[in-house]
Amino acid sequence: MNARGPTRFASGSAYWGAVAWLALVVGVGVLGPWLPLPYPPATPDLAHIAIPPGWGNSAAAHYFGTDPAGRDVLAELVFGARELLTLSLPATALATLLGASAGGAAGFWGNRGLALPLAIGPLALAAGWWLLALPYWLISSIILLIISFLIFIYQWKFARLGPRRFAGVTLPLPLDSLVLGVATLLSAVPRLVLVVALAAGPPLSTSQLLAVLVLVAWPDTARLVRAQMLRVRVQPFVEAAWASGLPEWRIWWRHALPHACQPLWASAPLSLAGLIGLESTLAFLGIGLLPTTASWGHLLGTLRQEPTAWWLVVGPGSALLFTLLALQEVARQLSGLHSSKEYFNKTASDVTAAHLRTKIK
Amino acid sequence: MHLLPTPLEELTLGESSDLSHVGSPRRLADRQAAQRALYHRLGLEEPVFYVSRSAHAPIRWYWHGTHNQYHRWVQQLLRGNLGYSYRTGQPVLALLQSALLYTLPLMAIAIGLATSLAIWLALGFALAPAEGGGWQALGRTLLMSLQAVPLFALALALLLLFANPDLLNILPADGMGTAYPPLGGLAWLAAYGAHLVLPLLSLVLAVLPGLVLPLENALRHELATPYSSTARAKGLTAWQVAYQHALPNALLPLFTTFTGLLPALVAGAVVVEVLFALPGTGRLLAEAAAAHDYPVVLAGVLLTAGARLLALLVADVLYYRADPRLRPSS
Repeated sequence: MNARGPTRFASGSAYWGAVAWLALVVGVGVLGPWLPLPYPPATPDLAHIAIPPGWGNSAAAHYFGTDPAGRDVLAELVFGARELLTLSLPATALATLLGASAGGAAGFWGNRGLALPLAIGPLALAAGWWLLALPYWLISSIILLIISFLIFIYQWKFARLGPRRFAGVTLPLPLDSLVLGVATLLSAVPRLVLVVALAAGPPLSTSQLLAVLVLVAWPDTARLVRAQMLRVRVQPFVEAAWASGLPEWRIWWRHALPHACQPLWASAPLSLAGLIGLESTLAFLGIGLLPTTASWGHLLGTLRQEPTAWWLVVGPGSALLFTLLALQEVARQLSGLHSSKEYFNKTASDVTAAHLRTKIK
Repeated sequence: MHLLPTPLEELTLGESSDLSHVGSPRRLADRQAAQRALYHRLGLEEPVFYVSRSAHAPIRWYWHGTHNQYHRWVQQLLRGNLGYSYRTGQPVLALLQSALLYTLPLMAIAIGLATSLAIWLALGFALAPAEGGGWQALGRTLLMSLQAVPLFALALALLLLFANPDLLNILPADGMGTAYPPLGGLAWLAAYGAHLVLPLLSLVLAVLPGLVLPLENALRHELATPYSSTARAKGLTAWQVAYQHALPNALLPLFTTFTGLLPALVAGAVVVEVLFALPGTGRLLAEAAAAHDYPVVLAGVLLTAGARLLALLVADVLYYRADPRLRPSS
């Protein structure tokens, strides 16, 4: 794919350095509560406010100094790494999952491909009416259920008539327009502005912030997977799967989707880096999370109260920088690994595909 | 959307309204009256939307007609009134206008600088051999690392480098407005320029990698085409081929990227204006969000979406102007 070769910038040592740094961050984050830290996080030491790093003579020195609220920088650093593992990483995983399935479905079925039985329409209406408890919910839901049942019986009984006389009418779901429309709507406003506006209410809990981050992050993945799926669905091996009579969802899940998800190897680390940047920007601005939550961005933000405290920048700043650079390096390496193989030449998941592959060659 | 003050605000407002009779037992009726007055002043008495649903067990739906906050907001919006700030009571439009006075020049200069710098850098990179060393390779590596750095970290680093009493204290970092020369005149211009250097530098550096690297790829692609070979065969210099022949074609697919600058800069302004204490729209939005000042937040989001629409329009016009193939043939 890439004419200049995937390994132009990547070298082995840089890649392994990046992996080692990420492993260190993950290890520190996971083991955080059990590490022998001299001070717990989010606990102000009011006797030592904004003191520089020192080894001191007391048993419990602030090795990395304290911030203007008297919190130990080392503990905040460790628990900031934990914050990445509990917020940014799950947000990226969920956004990738959601984006891949939404974009994959939108690209595979398009606007007319996914035809639902007509009886689903009244059934969904009835369920919605019931759940929202709209006026006359009981009687309306029952009427809708009966209509749905009648349609089902009619279509089942006269199925042999084919498309004539209403028997073969289906309900095409405009999946492509739906996914693209929502994605466009969400990206009409820059991410940061959208998150700032959504977080304008009372401080969000971690799970709410997670939901907000997933909401702003999934459209990119969805667009990427959709574009790839449009290319994959016309490949010979997918047509072969159709011809061999496999069920629709199986072709999508086992044959088309694994290939459409190839670009995610490169994009997922980058989207993780983007979300880490967004999360630390929010923490830096003091919007969204509770001020007691440990975060590298928040630690950097305290610099505004104490502009000469270099120890507030060196630790979290370099940790953030190294993490983002390491993720970029990993993304570059992974994209090199996965773009060198053509997606339809990858390990075949089907005998037909393998057979076809030899014919292509 | 919750359009009610949070408990925190109620607490603050309640305390301030109680200051007049400190020590006297709080009377429930007084507090309720104060709250009603507050709700009336902020226009929060009415329901939020046309319909509402009761929160508790016998669930019912209520129809409120046009007497609701949303209807009023849209009505006022169509008349050009964005509402009044919860915090200061000033009209939101006036707040936005005075903030735009600071943000628009910043945006315009940043867009101009970033675009011209991106074109020159990309030309320089594309003319150097792909595997070669020199300043181009160094610059490319720097830009690629810069791509990973969030804007706030970049701005913070610049602030520490150039506005630190311990290191280089050559540029002002405090906001405009304090000890500021009167409007107009050379002294004012100098102070204004000095205050804009660091914000501009951080904004331009933050958007530069996203512009230069794709443009360099496009330029390399165009320089490998037969028409470039023809141009070289005619005896043009490498610079002439790149600037006059390859650049117009390489820029075409990137108009969308370049017009995406405007929204990116609007978002960047949130960070930069907060950090450098500039009284622009970004800081207005951030502070309004932190203080739950919904009319201002809504207006800020509308403005940003408007900037996006404007950018798309500009992209279309530029495509039309730059690419004769898109014009209807007469």
